[in-house]
Amino acid sequence: MALDEPDSVAANRDDPADPSRRRLLAGLLTAYTASLIPWALAQPAPHADRGAFTALSAILVGRQALDAAQAGRLYDALAAAHPNFPADVQALLTLINERHIDPLQLQATLDGEHSPLAPLPRSIVGAWALGVVGSGEGARCVAYETALNAVIVADVLKPPTYAYGAYGSWTVKPNI
Amino acid sequence: MSEQLSADIVVIGSGIIGALAARRLAQQGASVLILEAGPRLERARVVAAFRNSPIKGNWMAPYPPSPWAPHPIYAPKDNGYLKQAGPYPYPAEYIRAVGGTTWHWAAQAWRLVPNDVRIKSLYGVGVDWPLSYEELDPWYQEAEEILGVAGADDTGSPRQHPFPMAPVAEPWSMRRFRERLAPTYAVVANTVARNSRSYDGRPACVGNNSCQPICPVNAQYLGINAVEAAEAAGAKVVPNAVVYRIEHDARGRIAAVHYYAPDKSEHRVTGKQFILAANGIESPKLLLLSASDTYPNGLANRSGMVGRHLMDHPSTSLSFYADEELWLGRGPQSPSSINTLRDGAFRSRHAPYRLDFTNISQVLNVTNDLIKEGVYGAEFEKQLRWRAARQVNVKNVLEVLPNPDNRITLSAEKDAMGIPKPEAHYAIDDYTRRAAEVSKADFARIAELMGGTGLRYSADGQFANNQHITGTMSMGNDPASSVVDAFGRTHDHENLFICSTGVMPTAATMNSTLTGVALALRTAEHILPAKQLRTTTAHSDREASLA
Repeated sequence: MALDEPDSVAANRDDPADPSRRRLLAGLLTAYTASLIPWALAQPAPHADRGAFTALSAILVGRQALDAAQAGRLYDALAAAHPNFPADVQALLTLINERHIDPLQLQATLDGEHSPLAPLPRSIVGAWALGVVGSGEGARCVAYETALNAVIVADVLKPPTYAYGAYGSWTVKPNI
Repeated sequence: MSEQLSADIVVIGSGIIGALAARRLAQQGASVLILEAGPRLERARVVAAFRNSPIKGNWMAPYPPSPWAPHPIYAPKDNGYLKQAGPYPYPAEYIRAVGGTTWHWAAQAWRLVPNDVRIKSLYGVGVDWPLSYEELDPWYQEAEEILGVAGADDTGSPRQHPFPMAPVAEPWSMRRFRERLAPTYAVVANTVARNSRSYDGRPACVGNNSCQPICPVNAQYLGINAVEAAEAAGAKVVPNAVVYRIEHDARGRIAAVHYYAPDKSEHRVTGKQFILAANGIESPKLLLLSASDTYPNGLANRSGMVGRHLMDHPSTSLSFYADEELWLGRGPQSPSSINTLRDGAFRSRHAPYRLDFTNISQVLNVTNDLIKEGVYGAEFEKQLRWRAARQVNVKNVLEVLPNPDNRITLSAEKDAMGIPKPEAHYAIDDYTRRAAEVSKADFARIAELMGGTGLRYSADGQFANNQHITGTMSMGNDPASSVVDAFGRTHDHENLFICSTGVMPTAATMNSTLTGVALALRTAEHILPAKQLRTTTAHSDREASLA
């Protein structure tokens, strides 16, 4: 499976036009992380920071495809909310690359080591899954219908405020 | 606005209760003016505000308060409007806007059960109401026909005439509860102001599953529907009119009310009859604010009972995973409940309760849980689907007895307009706590029958509030112990009536809105009997009755 719109991943933002300098996301991954997101290997990563964000996002949310336009929006929102965001993303990806940390163990590992990177996974997963960046009074919504928690269940549920269907259509067993 | 406003009937508050009293009086030919502290809202903007909200679990977020008419907000942080005197927090939520708090409600439009109004006589607790269930029945019916109530007959509340429409179609999840809990528990359709067919120009429900905070399609009756109906009948609404004082004359009759516009300009509104319908917190606040030399403890407060007997419905709950996929979130939010524990001899020992099943989509809660737990990678999607399909919740809705120490008072703190904020004094007594303990056995049995795993009870001693603000201006026959009589007229002021769930002497186990509406319709009839509509000299008769 591929990115929904692979060519749009930051392609028009800061990618040198010279195709000989085209980089692939694979260049940011080790064999271990590549095994987590095999779909991503051939995806373009014209900008290391955004590429690392895409790779880390894919690892954290466990998806085999991520919407590229949404990745751009979330990156921009997260980078605006977190001063060291690009560097922290690179650092966390490097950590996972080097130490082969199972995504399921990642949070406990970071918490256990009192890592300064510990808040990062929740920020990124929250952005993708809830469409929300930031917390408390600084929180803002950057996606709703396209947030992953809507997309993941879209075959069964509509996001609240959207009509499920004609009157009574909810009486039957969900067709999974 | 420099002209002096005047009307036969001046209604303070444009919520569903005040607006429906206003509608009925306007239909009978009275000139009616409704003063609303908050602004007008637009449904589409509320829908958009919810979709754009970063805190979708908080249903007040799409209703930010206006600076001149604040209401309590607790997330992302407490705005400090409803002061808490303790000992137990009472974080009431309500909306100050045209249409009031039923902009967001679950449209639960329940009647009481007959014994609810006689608990002192029958069980030796609380107080009896000054009227019987039978006297309420026709007013319930009138309210149900206005709101368009869909319901089942087997909920414990008898009726003389059928519901306006059949129960709303049962979601699959609720069907499975009903089938699996039988015969131990009877799971029945909730009584709701939600259309199961086109009714009064509004469509049938299409399952948006956002009844709270907003029905996007107008399938559920809201206060704004009542306001529009009142306006169609001739009532005039003045939004952004923050009433801060009720003025009486030398005889103790109400002469006028005073309000601030947002620029704090002062306005005086005269009338013949006055209806206070600003909910169970803002209404007693206003009565207390209106103290004068003649009435140093506030208006309508000879008994000292204004603000006292504050009640609501606390809830404890159990969440668990059913052993089959139920996928809450298909259809309306609150479709079914167990009603067999609303009454019984046990009421002498502990509170009665309703057991309520949610059909609110679990996706948001599950997502938050997974993020909190740090469940990442392939397991995230897998767990999200598994939990969203199976997570369910049952809660109790517990009666709280009237206690004079539970009360609303005026805070020393003032809002931006210089008006004292309301302050809540609240505790949950052993009568209610014992019922919470008893209901845990029901929770456990329900989970067992549903093959439940991962049982998570709400923390012991922790109660969620249901925003059913009740009491604070109780009705009764004795002027020494109540604020209004059985028709909602204040004992102390002949032309001041109160239409509010605040006049309910006890809270019972049911959402209080329909009872509040029924009582208000009865009050409106008392002020201006409908039969006068049919007289050819209605105007002169009306003048006579209003004099």
